[in-house]
Amino acid sequence: MITLQHYLVLSGMVFTLGLCGVMMRRNVILVMMSVEIMLNAANLALVAFNKHLLAGADGRTGPDGQVMVFFAIAVAAAEVTVALAIGMLLFRRLDTVNVDDVANLRW
Amino acid sequence: MEAPAAMEAMVFWAAAAVMLVATLLTISSRSPVYSVIFMILSFAATAVLFVGLDAYLLAAIEVLVYAGAIMVLFLFVIMLIHLRAEEHEGLRLDPLAIVVAGTFLALLSRAVGDPGPAVGKLPNDLVGSPALVAETLFSRYAVPFEAVSLLLLAAILGTVVLARRGRGA
Repeated sequence: MITLQHYLVLSGMVFTLGLCGVMMRRNVILVMMSVEIMLNAANLALVAFNKHLLAGADGRTGPDGQVMVFFAIAVAAAEVTVALAIGMLLFRRLDTVNVDDVANLRW
Repeated sequence: MEAPAAMEAMVFWAAAAVMLVATLLTISSRSPVYSVIFMILSFAATAVLFVGLDAYLLAAIEVLVYAGAIMVLFLFVIMLIHLRAEEHEGLRLDPLAIVVAGTFLALLSRAVGDPGPAVGKLPNDLVGSPALVAETLFSRYAVPFEAVSLLLLAAILGTVVLARRGRGA
C-alpha cells in the first residue's frame, strides 16, 4: 500500500538533491536546473496531498492542489525564460557561466 | 478505474527509483547536455507518479511543458553558450553544503513523520480528470489564471528587452 508518506519522503529526497545541486554546482545553468528540480519536488508533494487529504477547509473536495501545481508550472516557465536570458547576457558580457566569477554585488 | 494495489505499488517504486537516480545523475554529470537528458527522464518519472496520484491532466502538462518546452530551452542555451572544456566540472563536494543538506533532510524527515491529521481520502478518483480540473481552474481560480497570463506576458517582454540590450543597444 502506497501512502502519503511514501510520496512525501520521495519528494523530500528529490528536493534535497536539488538543494545539493544549487550549493555544489558552479555552472549557472546547472544551478537553475537544480532550482527546477526543487520546484518539481514541491509539485509532487502538492499533488500527493491533494490525493490523500481533502482539499479546502470548508470540506469542499476538489482538485485545488492540482490547480496550484498548474500555477507553479506556469510560474516556473516564466522564471526559466527570464533566468536563461540573464544567463545568456552574463555569458556575453563576462564570458563566463561560473557563479563564483560573478561576485560583483558581493559586499 | 482503480488499479490493483500491487500494481500501484510496483509502478510507484519503479518511478520513484528512476526519479531519484535520474535526479542524482542530473546534478552530478560533468556535461550539461547529459544533465538535461537525465532531467527529462526525471520529469517523465514524475509524470508517471502524477498518473498514480490520479492527476492525469498534470501528467500531460508535466511532459509537454517541463520535459518538452523548458528542457528544450535549457538545451538551446547550453548549445548557444558552448562551454569550454575546463568549465565542465562535476559536483564540488563542499563540506558546508553537505552539512546544510543533511540538516535539511533531517528537518524534512521530522515533518514527514507527522504530516498532520489525515482528513480522509477523496471520494472518487475522477478528481484529476481534465474536465474537473478545468472547471475549478476557470471558476474558482479564474482571477489567478488571468494573473498568470499577465506574468507570462511580462516574462516574454522582459526576455525580449534583455536580449536586445545584449546586442549593445
